[in-house]
Amino acid sequence: MNRRELIQKALGVGAAAFAVSQLRAQSAGSQYNGPAGGTRGSQLVTILTGPFDTSSQPNGVAPLAAAPQYATYVRIQAHPGQEGKIAIGGPAMASGSSNIADSAFLELWPNWDASFDNGRSDTWILSDPKWLNTIDLSQIYVYPEIAGETPIVTAFQLV
Amino acid sequence: MVVLSPSPVSGPFPVSGPPAPIATSSTLVNQVSIKPRLGQWSKILIGGPNLGTDESNAMAILYPVPNGGQADAFTVQDQGGQNTIDLSQIYVYATIPGDTPMVEAFGYQTV
Repeated sequence: MNRRELIQKALGVGAAAFAVSQLRAQSAGSQYNGPAGGTRGSQLVTILTGPFDTSSQPNGVAPLAAAPQYATYVRIQAHPGQEGKIAIGGPAMASGSSNIADSAFLELWPNWDASFDNGRSDTWILSDPKWLNTIDLSQIYVYPEIAGETPIVTAFQLV
Repeated sequence: MVVLSPSPVSGPFPVSGPPAPIATSSTLVNQVSIKPRLGQWSKILIGGPNLGTDESNAMAILYPVPNGGQADAFTVQDQGGQNTIDLSQIYVYATIPGDTPMVEAFGYQTV
Protein backbone atom coordinates (compact mmCIF):
# COMPACT_ATOMS: atom_id res chain seq x y z
CA MET A 1 0.00 0.00 0.00
CA ASN A 2 1.49 3.30 -1.05
CA ARG A 3 1.32 6.64 0.72
CA ARG A 4 -1.78 7.83 -1.14
CA GLU A 5 -3.71 4.66 -0.39
CA LEU A 6 -2.73 4.87 3.26
CA ILE A 7 -4.02 8.44 3.46
CA GLN A 8 -7.28 7.52 1.76
CA LYS A 9 -7.81 4.53 4.03
CA ALA A 10 -7.10 6.54 7.14
CA LEU A 11 -9.25 9.55 6.35
CA GLY A 12 -12.08 7.98 4.38
CA VAL A 13 -14.48 10.24 2.51
CA GLY A 14 -12.84 13.35 1.18
CA ALA A 15 -9.36 12.00 1.49
CA ALA A 16 -8.96 11.53 -2.23
CA ALA A 17 -8.72 15.24 -2.91
CA PHE A 18 -6.27 15.58 -0.06
CA ALA A 19 -4.22 12.73 -1.47
CA VAL A 20 -4.08 14.49 -4.80
CA SER A 21 -2.65 17.58 -3.18
CA GLN A 22 -0.18 15.38 -1.35
CA LEU A 23 0.95 13.91 -4.64
CA ARG A 24 1.46 17.36 -6.02
CA ALA A 25 3.34 18.40 -2.93
CA GLN A 26 5.67 15.44 -3.17
CA SER A 27 6.84 16.35 -6.62
CA ALA A 28 9.43 18.87 -7.61
CA GLY A 29 8.28 22.30 -8.70
CA SER A 30 5.07 22.15 -10.70
CA GLN A 31 5.57 18.52 -11.71
CA TYR A 32 2.71 16.16 -11.06
CA ASN A 33 3.47 12.55 -10.23
CA GLY A 34 0.30 10.56 -10.73
CA PRO A 35 -0.08 6.86 -11.38
CA ALA A 36 2.31 5.40 -13.90
CA GLY A 37 1.09 5.11 -17.45
CA GLY A 38 -1.37 2.36 -18.15
CA THR A 39 -2.91 2.25 -14.69
CA ARG A 40 -6.06 3.92 -13.48
CA GLY A 41 -7.63 4.97 -10.21
CA SER A 42 -11.12 5.89 -9.14
CA GLN A 43 -11.08 9.68 -9.03
CA LEU A 44 -10.91 11.88 -12.08
CA VAL A 45 -8.79 14.95 -11.45
CA THR A 46 -7.54 17.72 -13.69
CA ILE A 47 -3.80 17.87 -13.98
CA LEU A 48 -3.64 20.61 -16.58
CA THR A 49 -6.13 23.41 -17.15
CA GLY A 50 -6.31 26.90 -18.51
CA PRO A 51 -4.64 28.94 -21.25
CA PHE A 52 -1.39 27.25 -22.26
CA ASP A 53 1.55 29.60 -22.77
CA THR A 54 4.44 28.43 -24.95
CA SER A 55 6.19 31.78 -25.20
CA SER A 56 9.04 30.71 -22.92
CA GLN A 57 10.24 28.22 -25.55
CA PRO A 58 12.81 29.46 -28.10
CA ASN A 59 10.70 28.48 -31.11
CA GLY A 60 7.31 28.73 -29.43
CA VAL A 61 6.80 24.95 -29.43
CA ALA A 62 6.15 23.40 -26.04
CA PRO A 63 5.17 19.97 -24.76
CA LEU A 64 2.14 19.84 -22.50
CA ALA A 65 4.41 18.60 -19.72
CA ALA A 66 8.15 18.85 -19.31
CA ALA A 67 8.40 15.36 -17.77
CA PRO A 68 6.27 12.26 -18.45
CA GLN A 69 2.78 12.82 -17.08
CA TYR A 70 0.09 10.27 -17.90
CA ALA A 71 -3.48 11.31 -18.60
CA THR A 72 -6.61 9.53 -19.72
CA TYR A 73 -8.18 12.48 -21.53
CA VAL A 74 -6.68 15.52 -23.23
CA ARG A 75 -8.54 18.42 -24.79
CA ILE A 76 -7.01 21.35 -26.67
CA GLN A 77 -9.23 24.19 -27.82
CA ALA A 78 -8.52 27.27 -29.90
CA HIS A 79 -8.84 30.21 -27.53
CA PRO A 80 -11.93 32.24 -28.44
CA GLY A 81 -10.98 35.73 -29.50
CA GLN A 82 -7.46 34.83 -30.60
CA GLU A 83 -6.51 34.89 -34.27
CA GLY A 84 -3.83 32.29 -35.03
CA LYS A 85 -4.03 28.62 -35.93
CA ILE A 86 -2.83 26.11 -33.35
CA ALA A 87 -0.60 23.24 -34.46
CA ILE A 88 -0.52 20.02 -32.44
CA GLY A 89 2.04 17.29 -32.96
CA GLY A 90 4.51 14.87 -31.50
CA PRO A 91 8.16 15.32 -30.57
CA ALA A 92 9.12 15.88 -34.22
CA MET A 93 7.44 19.25 -34.04
CA ALA A 94 9.93 20.47 -31.44
CA SER A 95 12.71 20.39 -34.00
CA GLY A 96 10.62 21.74 -36.87
CA SER A 97 12.39 24.42 -38.82
CA SER A 98 10.90 26.47 -41.64
CA ASN A 99 7.21 25.63 -41.25
CA ILE A 100 6.58 24.07 -37.87
CA ALA A 101 3.01 23.17 -38.77
CA ASP A 102 4.36 20.82 -41.46
CA SER A 103 5.59 18.64 -38.60
CA ALA A 104 2.23 18.66 -36.86
CA PHE A 105 -0.51 16.07 -37.10
CA LEU A 106 -3.32 18.53 -36.57
CA GLU A 107 -4.21 22.18 -36.80
CA LEU A 108 -7.02 24.05 -35.11
CA TRP A 109 -8.63 27.03 -36.77
CA PRO A 110 -8.85 30.20 -34.74
CA ASN A 111 -12.17 31.50 -33.51
CA TRP A 112 -11.63 35.22 -33.48
CA ASP A 113 -15.18 36.55 -33.56
CA ALA A 114 -17.58 33.61 -33.25
CA SER A 115 -18.71 34.09 -36.84
CA PHE A 116 -18.34 30.42 -37.81
CA ASP A 117 -20.04 27.26 -36.56
CA ASN A 118 -22.31 29.17 -34.19
CA GLY A 119 -19.31 30.36 -32.26
CA ARG A 120 -17.92 26.94 -31.43
CA SER A 121 -14.16 26.77 -31.24
CA ASP A 122 -12.16 24.13 -33.06
CA THR A 123 -11.13 21.47 -30.57
CA TRP A 124 -8.98 18.34 -30.48
CA ILE A 125 -9.75 15.57 -28.02
CA LEU A 126 -7.84 12.38 -27.34
CA SER A 127 -8.98 9.88 -24.75
CA ASP A 128 -8.10 6.36 -23.80
CA PRO A 129 -11.13 4.18 -24.58
CA LYS A 130 -10.62 2.15 -21.43
CA TRP A 131 -10.01 5.16 -19.20
CA LEU A 132 -6.44 4.20 -18.57
CA ASN A 133 -3.73 6.77 -17.94
CA THR A 134 -1.88 6.06 -21.17
CA ILE A 135 -1.45 9.46 -22.80
CA ASP A 136 1.95 10.93 -22.08
CA LEU A 137 1.55 14.69 -22.02
CA SER A 138 5.27 15.17 -22.53
CA GLN A 139 4.88 13.65 -26.02
CA ILE A 140 2.24 16.11 -27.19
CA TYR A 141 3.52 19.43 -28.45
CA VAL A 142 1.64 22.65 -29.10
CA TYR A 143 2.56 25.57 -31.34
CA PRO A 144 0.49 28.73 -31.63
CA GLU A 145 1.03 30.29 -35.04
CA ILE A 146 0.92 33.72 -33.45
CA ALA A 147 3.47 34.03 -30.68
CA GLY A 148 1.99 34.56 -27.27
CA GLU A 149 -1.43 33.12 -28.04
CA THR A 150 -2.72 30.59 -25.57
CA PRO A 151 -4.87 27.58 -26.51
CA ILE A 152 -7.05 26.19 -23.75
CA VAL A 153 -5.71 22.86 -22.53
CA THR A 154 -7.40 20.41 -20.21
CA ALA A 155 -6.03 17.03 -19.12
CA PHE A 156 -7.67 14.54 -16.80
CA GLN A 157 -6.05 11.73 -14.90
CA LEU A 158 -7.59 8.97 -12.82
CA VAL A 159 -5.86 8.79 -9.47
CA MET B 1 4.03 0.15 -19.28
CA VAL B 2 1.52 0.81 -22.03
CA VAL B 3 1.38 4.27 -23.52
CA LEU B 4 -0.88 5.70 -26.22
CA SER B 5 1.66 7.41 -28.48
CA PRO B 6 1.55 9.37 -31.73
CA SER B 7 2.27 7.17 -34.72
CA PRO B 8 5.26 8.10 -36.88
CA VAL B 9 2.96 8.31 -39.90
CA SER B 10 1.04 11.19 -38.35
CA GLY B 11 1.27 14.54 -40.07
CA PRO B 12 0.44 16.19 -43.39
CA PHE B 13 -0.22 13.45 -45.95
CA PRO B 14 0.62 14.50 -49.53
CA VAL B 15 -1.76 13.04 -52.10
CA SER B 16 -0.54 13.85 -55.58
CA GLY B 17 -2.15 11.07 -57.58
CA PRO B 18 -4.62 8.23 -57.13
CA PRO B 19 -5.88 7.19 -53.71
CA ALA B 20 -2.94 6.25 -51.51
CA PRO B 21 -2.72 4.20 -48.33
CA ILE B 22 -1.69 6.03 -45.18
CA ALA B 23 1.02 3.43 -44.57
CA THR B 24 2.76 1.31 -47.20
CA SER B 25 3.05 -1.71 -44.91
CA SER B 26 0.80 -3.05 -42.19
CA THR B 27 0.72 -0.52 -39.32
CA LEU B 28 -1.73 -1.15 -36.51
CA VAL B 29 -2.99 1.73 -34.40
CA ASN B 30 -5.77 2.38 -31.89
CA GLN B 31 -7.09 5.61 -33.40
CA VAL B 32 -6.85 7.44 -36.66
CA SER B 33 -8.31 10.78 -37.63
CA ILE B 34 -8.14 12.45 -41.03
CA LYS B 35 -8.95 16.10 -41.50
CA PRO B 36 -8.63 18.52 -44.43
CA ARG B 37 -5.65 20.84 -44.09
CA LEU B 38 -6.95 24.20 -43.05
CA GLY B 39 -6.87 26.67 -45.91
CA GLN B 40 -6.68 24.04 -48.66
CA TRP B 41 -9.47 23.54 -51.18
CA SER B 42 -9.59 19.81 -51.83
CA LYS B 43 -12.41 17.54 -50.98
CA ILE B 44 -10.88 14.60 -49.16
CA LEU B 45 -12.05 11.07 -49.94
CA ILE B 46 -11.39 8.23 -47.52
CA GLY B 47 -11.93 4.57 -48.17
CA GLY B 48 -10.41 1.15 -48.43
CA PRO B 49 -8.21 -0.27 -51.19
CA ASN B 50 -11.12 -0.03 -53.65
CA LEU B 51 -11.65 3.72 -53.16
CA GLY B 52 -12.34 5.42 -56.47
CA THR B 53 -11.58 8.98 -57.48
CA ASP B 54 -15.24 9.26 -58.50
CA GLU B 55 -16.19 8.81 -54.82
CA SER B 56 -17.14 5.19 -55.35
CA ASN B 57 -16.64 3.04 -52.25
CA ALA B 58 -15.82 6.10 -50.15
CA MET B 59 -16.38 5.61 -46.44
CA ALA B 60 -16.15 9.35 -45.85
CA ILE B 61 -15.98 12.52 -47.93
CA LEU B 62 -14.72 15.63 -46.19
CA TYR B 63 -15.38 19.16 -47.36
CA PRO B 64 -12.54 21.66 -47.33
CA VAL B 65 -12.32 24.44 -44.78
CA PRO B 66 -10.92 27.30 -46.83
CA ASN B 67 -11.59 30.18 -44.50
CA GLY B 68 -12.33 29.44 -40.89
CA GLY B 69 -14.65 27.25 -38.89
CA GLN B 70 -14.34 23.74 -37.57
CA ALA B 71 -12.84 21.31 -40.05
CA ASP B 72 -14.72 18.19 -41.02
CA ALA B 73 -12.98 15.05 -39.82
CA PHE B 74 -13.15 11.29 -40.10
CA THR B 75 -12.21 9.52 -36.89
CA VAL B 76 -12.26 5.88 -35.93
CA GLN B 77 -11.01 4.36 -32.68
CA ASP B 78 -11.01 0.84 -31.29
CA GLN B 79 -13.11 1.20 -28.15
CA GLY B 80 -11.68 -2.02 -26.80
CA GLY B 81 -8.33 -0.37 -26.30
CA GLN B 82 -6.38 -2.42 -28.84
CA ASN B 83 -4.29 -1.62 -31.90
CA THR B 84 -6.63 -3.03 -34.52
CA ILE B 85 -6.79 -0.40 -37.24
CA ASP B 86 -4.43 -1.12 -40.12
CA LEU B 87 -3.31 2.14 -41.73
CA SER B 88 -2.22 0.31 -44.87
CA GLN B 89 -5.89 -0.48 -45.52
CA ILE B 90 -7.08 3.12 -45.28
CA TYR B 91 -6.74 5.09 -48.50
CA VAL B 92 -6.91 8.85 -48.94
CA TYR B 93 -7.52 10.92 -52.04
CA ALA B 94 -7.44 14.70 -52.43
CA THR B 95 -9.32 16.20 -55.35
CA ILE B 96 -6.57 18.79 -55.84
CA PRO B 97 -3.22 17.07 -56.41
CA GLY B 98 -0.61 18.00 -53.87
CA ASP B 99 -2.96 18.94 -51.07
CA THR B 100 -2.01 17.53 -47.70
CA PRO B 101 -4.82 16.34 -45.44
CA MET B 102 -3.75 15.96 -41.85
CA VAL B 103 -3.48 12.44 -40.51
CA GLU B 104 -3.42 11.90 -36.77
CA ALA B 105 -2.86 8.36 -35.52
CA PHE B 106 -2.20 7.04 -32.04
CA GLY B 107 -1.23 3.52 -31.10
CA TYR B 108 -0.45 1.65 -27.92
CA GLN B 109 3.21 1.04 -27.32
CA THR B 110 4.96 -0.69 -24.49
CA VAL B 111 7.74 1.47 -23.12
